[in-house]
Formats: sequence, C-alpha cells, structure tokens
Amino acid sequence: MNLLRKLWNNLHLFMALPAILLFGLFFIYPLAQGIGISLTDSNGMSAPRFVGLQNFIDFFHDARAKKDVYNTLFFAVGSAPLLNIFGFLYALILDRPFKGKGFVRAVVYLPAVISPLIMGYVWYFILQPDRGFLYHLLESLHLGTGGSDWLGNAHSALIVLVFINVWQFVGMTMIIYLAGLQSIPKELYEAGEIDGAGYIKSLWYITIPMVVQSIKINVVTNIIGSLSVFEVIMALTDGGPGYSTESLSIYILRMLYGSFTGYSTAVAMVLFAMIIIPVFIFMRYINKKEFEM
Amino acid sequence: MKNTRTLGKYALVAGMSLLSLIPFYILLYLALNKPSRTLFNGLSLLPDFNFSNFSEAWESSRMGLATLNSLIITIGGAVLIILAASSAGYAIARYSNKFHQSVFNLLLICMMIPAIIITVPLYTLMKSIGGINTHWAMILLMASNGIPFSVFLYTGFIKVLPKEIEESAIIDGCTPFTAFWRVTFHFLRPVTAAVVILQGLAIWNNYGQAVFFLQGQDMRTIPLAVSMFFQQYGAQWNLMAAAAVIGLAPAVVAFLVFQKYFVKGITAGAVKG
Repeated sequence: MNLLRKLWNNLHLFMALPAILLFGLFFIYPLAQGIGISLTDSNGMSAPRFVGLQNFIDFFHDARAKKDVYNTLFFAVGSAPLLNIFGFLYALILDRPFKGKGFVRAVVYLPAVISPLIMGYVWYFILQPDRGFLYHLLESLHLGTGGSDWLGNAHSALIVLVFINVWQFVGMTMIIYLAGLQSIPKELYEAGEIDGAGYIKSLWYITIPMVVQSIKINVVTNIIGSLSVFEVIMALTDGGPGYSTESLSIYILRMLYGSFTGYSTAVAMVLFAMIIIPVFIFMRYINKKEFEM
Repeated sequence: MKNTRTLGKYALVAGMSLLSLIPFYILLYLALNKPSRTLFNGLSLLPDFNFSNFSEAWESSRMGLATLNSLIITIGGAVLIILAASSAGYAIARYSNKFHQSVFNLLLICMMIPAIIITVPLYTLMKSIGGINTHWAMILLMASNGIPFSVFLYTGFIKVLPKEIEESAIIDGCTPFTAFWRVTFHFLRPVTAAVVILQGLAIWNNYGQAVFFLQGQDMRTIPLAVSMFFQQYGAQWNLMAAAAVIGLAPAVVAFLVFQKYFVKGITAGAVKG
C-alpha cells in the first residue's frame, strides 16, 4: 500500500515513458535493425547473408544512384534557400498591421494543408503541354510559349519541381518566421530608432539576430523536407523522363519493390547521412554565431 | 504619397493571396465541370457548376469508407500524440535530470530522420505484431512519427510557463502528476492547437506509409483513394478533382478552426523555448 502511494506521488518521473516506449518501438528499434539489414544481401524472401559494406561499395558504382544524389541535392539546394528568403519576406510583409491580416496569413498557409501528392496532380494539370491551364492562359494572352513540355525535359522538370515545392511550403516557413518576429520586444526598435538606425540597419542588426531560433527551425526542417522529397515528384514526373528527376527516396522505394531489400536499406542509410551531416554543420555554425552575438 | 503606399501594400498582399489560391480554384473548377468539358477553352474561367461529380466520385471510389478510415487514424493518432507528448514535455521541462536530458536530445536527433529510412524493418515489425491493415497499428505508428516535434514544442512551451501554476495545486494536495492533468494541461491550449494542426495534417495526408501498411481495399485512407483515381481513370479529371476536394475539405475546415491559436503556439513552443 505504502509502495503504491509512493509510486503515485512520484508518477511525474515516469511521465516520459509512454512517449519513449512508442517512439522506441516504432522508430529506434526499426532504425537499429535497418543498420543491420543494410549490411546484408537481404531480398525479403531467402535468408539474408552478411556482406559487410558491399552495398555501400555498390552504391558508389551505381550510375543511377549518382544521378539520384545529384537530383536530390539540386532539389534541396534550390528549395531550402528560396523557401527561407521568401518565407522571411512574406513574414515581414504580413507582420505589419493591416485589415484582414489574419485572413491573408491563413490563405498563404493553406497550400501546405494539401498533401503534396494532390498538389502535384493539380500542377500536373496546370502544366500539361498543349492542353493544360497554363497553355490556355498563355495562348489567349498571345504569348506563344504555352506548348512547351516543361515536365518532359529533364532540366526544366527539376526547376519546376523546386518552384512547386517553394510555392507550397512558403506559408509554413513564413509562420515560423512570423512567430519569431512577434517575440521581438518593440523597445529594441525604439532604441534603434533613437540611435538613428534606418529600416535596413535595424533589419540587419535587430530583426535577423532576434529570429535566430526561427532560422534554425526553418533551415533544419527545410533541409530534411527537401532532401527526402518524394510525393511531389511521384505525382508530377514519376521520376522521369528516364531517371532524370528521380530522388533518392523514390529510388529507395523502387529498390524495395524490386526486392533489393538490403541494398535499398543501405541507400536509406546514405540518405540519412546526407541529411544529418549538413544539419550538424549548420547547427554548429549557427550556435557559434549565436554565442558571438 | 501615403495613399499610394497603402495601395501598393494591399496590391502586394492580394497578389500573395491569389498565388496561394490557384490550386484551390483549379481543383474546384475541374470538380464542377461536366465530363465533356474539362478544358479552359476560350479562357472561360467559370465552371459548369455540375455538382453530380461529387456524388459520382463519392460512390465510385468508396470515399465514404476512406474518409472514415482517415478520421479514425487521424483522431486516434492526434489524441495519442497530445497525451504522450504533453506529459513527456512536462517531465522534461520540469524535472530536468540526466535521463530526461538524454531523451530530449535523442528525440531532437531523430526529428531529422525521414520515416522512409526505416520502411523495411518497420514492415517486418508490423507483420510480426499483426498490425498490417489495422487501425490500431497505424495509429500507434503515426503517433510515434509525431512525437519528436510535439515533445519539442511542449517542452519549449512549458519551460516558459511559470512554475507557480502547479505549485499552488500541489499545496492543495495534488501530486505533481495530477497537478499537470488538472491544472497545467489547460494552459497548453495554444501548443496543443499547433500540434493538432501540424500532426493532424501530417497524418491526414500521409501517403508514403499508408501505401505499405494499409494495402487492404477496406482500409484505404483518403490519399490512397484519391491516388487510385489518378492511376486508374486516366482522363476523368472532373471526378478526380471532385474526389480530391472531398478529401481536402475536412483538412481545410479543421485548419481554419484551429489556426487562430496556431501562431501563438508556435511562438511559445518553438521560438521562445
């Protein structure tokens, strides 16, 4: 009885347990197993054999994988900076007082509410050569480039994918910056004004340093999101033409469906490394910066 | 001078809103057209207002069942996330020790790992616990996906909440555990709203994992039902769009209901914490 009472009084020390158990079972445990599987020739059917680092060696000789790494990096290097620049500009504009501010914020966020898959289908309809929305729009305005097959050309397709991603998630990035802007005490700007700082100067010396926490969250989530891009590509190009717009996550799934389980998991580990390394470098850099300020 | 600036500002803001509304317009436009007219001929921007697409799409792809599945999984997952993540956040924020510190750090690192990476071993796990094609296993999985970021938000928020909130309840005879559920939990509404929006949408829209673990015809969620449409009936844009609108509507409504608290929750949880 006494023991029960004691446990009841100390229950707060165990409050993290449900979350840990859930996360441990459905994430940490499979992750640990995945590291093991990546070292085998598992195909999901016959008994797997341990092959050491063979899968990773294969990866470096896999031309399709190289192309996918390039595509994934292209997409991320295009998306992450653009999202942050436009997200920040959007936040600056929508932070100022005007009528209907809340409504506009909600509307700008709205595209992020739709699944990237459905959004991809919508854009597919807009961009179809010779019959899409954009084609008809450009035709009726007598701008004759409407017939171009933006998605059929490998290079323009990648650029289109970056554009759609930025356009869909700019609202998400904006909300985090908006949150940062709202936590800046107004006195700082008043002090800056007394010291004679103009708009640009106070932006540089007050606003940006004060939203470091928002920058951190945004850059990290954008790196993760764009390097693991999957649905929007599935919907728009399905990785084609050829493998020219295939991302690593799509390759992982394709290899999985093709029963190359061990190799697929190894590629997943490579993607994991590709995400964690830039994030750590960025975090070290920005934490050092923060310390200096 | 001042007038031109205000005008410019409103033009800019209107432009931003219009840009964001394009897909909604396109989807509605397509969903309301007659099957024979799916294109923008002569740039007539008004659709036919043919509402029968909705009922047809609803029946032919069993959207009712898909909506029910999506609702069960989303509500179950979100409730589980709120319970588990808020209590973990409380423990980490208020009773800081080595164990809680390392749990928090582990979750932060795992936030960076996309779910696709663990697909293979997860499939084996789901199979061995009999969780393929079941609501409960999908709910547990979706909850575990959402836990890292939600714990991060709750911890940040509770850290800036004054301790006195619980202290007086404890003097009145609560244990720290009951003080949390009876008192502190009610102060967490803004973060809870942010968690509901972010995680609820992530679960509602989940496609990558639903494809693997909900393969049964009767278990399809909305993204699966809509994507079936796109794959099977190549040319019927009006029906596809109607299905997409049906799947979208609950998410948009839920977002508009909770969005008032959204920025507040993010500000306090992620940005200040």
